[in-house]
Amino acid sequence: MDVVDARPILAPFVSFLCAGLVFAVGRSIFWRRFFTFLAAFIKMGLVLSMLPGTLRGVVYVYDFVEFTPGIGIAFRADAYGMFFALVSSTLWLFTTIYAIGYMQGDRDRVRFFGFFALCVSTTVGVAFAENLLTFFLFYETLTICTYPLVVHAETPEALRAGRIYLTYTLIGGGFALVGAVMVNAVAGTLTLSQPGILSGDLGTPTLAIIFTCLTIGFGVKAGIMPLHGWLPIAMVAPTPVSALLHAVAVVKVGAFGVTRVIYNVFGVELLGVLGFTVPLAFLAAFTIVASSTIALTQDHLKRRLAYSTISQLSYIVLGAALLTPLAATAAIIHVANQAFAKITMFFVVGAIARTTGKKHVSEIDGIAARMPISMAAFTIAALSFVGVPLTAGFITKWYLALGALEADAWWFVLVLIVSALLNAGYFFPIVHRAYFRPAKEPWPTLEEGRRFETAKTLLFPIVICAAYVLLLGVTAEVPGMPFSIAQVAVESFFAGGGVVP
Amino acid sequence: MNAGWAEALPWTIVLPMVGAVLTPAVAARRPRLAGTWAWGVLLVASALASGLVYQLATTGPFSYDVGGWAQPYGIELRFDHFSAWVLPLLLLFVVIVPFSWRYLDHVMPDERRPAFYALLLLNAGGMIGFCVTGDFFNLFVFTEVVSLSSYALVAVGGRGLAAFAALKYLFIGAVSSLLMLFATAQLFALTGSLNMADVAGRLADVGGGPAVMVAFAAYAVSFMVKTAMFPVHVWLPDAHAIAPSPVSAVLSGMVVKIGIIGMLRVYQVFFAADVLELGAFNQTLVWFGAISIVMGAFFAIFQDDIKLMLAYSTISNIGYIVLGLGLASPYAVIGASVHVFNHALIKATLFLAAGAIIHQTGLRTLSDLRGIARRMPQTSAAMAVGAVSIVGLPPTAGFVCKWYIALGAFESGQAPFGFALVFGALFIFIYYVRMLNAFYFQEPVHDVVIEANEAPWSMRAPVIVLATLCLVLGVLGGIPLSFVEPAVLELLPFWGN
Repeated sequence: MDVVDARPILAPFVSFLCAGLVFAVGRSIFWRRFFTFLAAFIKMGLVLSMLPGTLRGVVYVYDFVEFTPGIGIAFRADAYGMFFALVSSTLWLFTTIYAIGYMQGDRDRVRFFGFFALCVSTTVGVAFAENLLTFFLFYETLTICTYPLVVHAETPEALRAGRIYLTYTLIGGGFALVGAVMVNAVAGTLTLSQPGILSGDLGTPTLAIIFTCLTIGFGVKAGIMPLHGWLPIAMVAPTPVSALLHAVAVVKVGAFGVTRVIYNVFGVELLGVLGFTVPLAFLAAFTIVASSTIALTQDHLKRRLAYSTISQLSYIVLGAALLTPLAATAAIIHVANQAFAKITMFFVVGAIARTTGKKHVSEIDGIAARMPISMAAFTIAALSFVGVPLTAGFITKWYLALGALEADAWWFVLVLIVSALLNAGYFFPIVHRAYFRPAKEPWPTLEEGRRFETAKTLLFPIVICAAYVLLLGVTAEVPGMPFSIAQVAVESFFAGGGVVP
Repeated sequence: MNAGWAEALPWTIVLPMVGAVLTPAVAARRPRLAGTWAWGVLLVASALASGLVYQLATTGPFSYDVGGWAQPYGIELRFDHFSAWVLPLLLLFVVIVPFSWRYLDHVMPDERRPAFYALLLLNAGGMIGFCVTGDFFNLFVFTEVVSLSSYALVAVGGRGLAAFAALKYLFIGAVSSLLMLFATAQLFALTGSLNMADVAGRLADVGGGPAVMVAFAAYAVSFMVKTAMFPVHVWLPDAHAIAPSPVSAVLSGMVVKIGIIGMLRVYQVFFAADVLELGAFNQTLVWFGAISIVMGAFFAIFQDDIKLMLAYSTISNIGYIVLGLGLASPYAVIGASVHVFNHALIKATLFLAAGAIIHQTGLRTLSDLRGIARRMPQTSAAMAVGAVSIVGLPPTAGFVCKWYIALGAFESGQAPFGFALVFGALFIFIYYVRMLNAFYFQEPVHDVVIEANEAPWSMRAPVIVLATLCLVLGVLGGIPLSFVEPAVLELLPFWGN
């Protein structure tokens, strides 16, 4: 049921307005924080207020402008979009707290927080995009808005990373644009509100070109190999940026795009006939294993996390590409599960770097004695990635495995097992070093009068996000938690046929 | 016919022309008054143009017979949807002129100001006349008014290479004008008429044949030179880069567009007459458009001078428009027609922002201007918006047009050109990224840059207004689109494919 409501447009607009205010009066630390938090709370409130409706099956829509008939900017908060918006607006709040602590005394904070807000604005815009044009509009804007964040340090290394980032994402954006325009030309519509808008009559070659263009376009940000090259390099950005953008917003926008293409542009039925998703699934499986293997060799903590991100993103792509309801559910839930676990890890790594200056795996022997709470959080996240029950990651793996079996793709269960082992292989050494190796040299002690292992603003988001990882694992089926929203989304994707879990 | 605003049609042309002639007299005692006078004249002219557009929106295209002589014997002025371009054109002038007030301080002595503003008004009047005339001979006359004033405006800075650039522009422009005169004469010889609608009717009787083909080809080549398509673009980069920045904005944003408007006019006649098979010609346009996109971007990469780089990107953008026209599918032509305006807006933003920076620092190369964004944040932000816009990235004015032209390419089954359009545009971003990096993320190397101040408000305000419009039209791009749509759909039944 569609209900006209302004909230789907207000949610991205709030952080857009916030960015404007930060640019205008952001020199004052108070106002900068005030507006950022105000916007973060309002945005979360807006998104949350739509949640009961979403669970009832209500879809909030808002047509903003129409250029010519059928082509325009429109917003639509369906279940999948709500899910994504919920994750990104929640994490924006925590990352903002973290960023305030992390960026203390850093340069150009007005620019940093301004573009940070713009990025979140565009992410929610992507989530609520009713059509491919709106989607692309926000998708590309996100690319541009992240650039100043990536090159924030303004070192030659950062500028080089920025250049590579732009090259990958803009070329990807070009493909996405071509794909979207082709959809417009052949289907006469751009809407993402249907379970598929293309018809099989168009002929396989045309459809193959469209599918390739769109998957390349969105796959760049989703880090599907071999399009992942920008992601580890972009880790040069400040940690809050890596955390929110390169573990959550930017990369998830890519994965979100790929899923939208599969479920809303082509549709399950058509892809089932065409079989385009089979190579995509293989590519994703390859990415999962290959990037996990690379992660094993990385000593730099953030780079190891980056390769882990690449691997985890392909879970989403793979889940979507399997075209079964259970796998789709897993793909959607993993958007949240991966986000909370990975952001916890980034937060911890950033906190370690800020507190002790250590950035490499080989340097953190015995850190758990110095930063017990942070490392406990890291351990929880690591367990989640390995897929230990009671953590969020277990839910994903369970449904992915079921979905794979449903699709008769037993080989994928093997990939899952190998991946779990590899995840253990690159995360547990960190945990092991932190807890069981003696410190090479005494860790710097606390400053007088501080009760915590690191700044409160850094520690608080870490604890909350880690708690969330457990919460997602334990309460998966409680109404209002991700599972129920994902189910509503999956029902709409498989409206044309298939079994709903 | 409902008279109403139609009576204002001749005055919209006459006013800037008369204003131009009177400028030296008005400003005889106080040369600085010339700028204000020109601005006032343009304001009144824009008010008249708004009336004309209002009339067009309510009653559709209308004509005015000069001196009351009936067509086809008298001179006809005709205001249709493509003529509506005069309103945004005048509004851009209204924004650009205040910018020039302070900018000219460094460019010319005060006593030359009256001449400058007279030329500017003449240029505006010529373009208005060009857009609204319904007669081939007057089309030529107004082309010459525009061209001659443009040559002079390039040279008016009077420094070093300016005269040379103007001379180069003059030689190539004169060849193009001669071709146009030849084509007009040819048409007159064939049909015995100069009125466009009349010629269209009589051409149908004359039929096709090489003579008609030659006239058409002469028009086409002449207009291609005026729009500076690759490979007949050679006059443009120097002329546009050397002219004072407000003039660059006028030349790059608007004067090159007379070639496009002229092309549309000639199309209207030849398609109405339906005497030529123009599929092959459209295909040529598409190819030249695609090549222009790529070559303009390619040359821009090697420039260090910010204004030269902007000039080359004009060639690229003209490529979009020509490509869109040649694709001859409704969406592409709508996109191309709107890009005529959007590109003018974007290019004005960029040239004025660049002008403000040059005015404040006296420097004009990327390597010298490193770190300028810290000292001139607003101007640099406008420049950044313009850069994103000109590449056609959302959410800016450039994006909407790119979408429509690409859509037209795929719709008409010419997918490779869709790819060329999308990726050719990215090519040019290489340069703009270097520019943004230099402005924002690199340390200053010059003391001038470290001590630079933000431009005075008379320069900053126009830049900010234009940059804001670039963003607003990215989201509200439907307004010009819906306006052009009926005109294009009316034209297209006659459109060769």
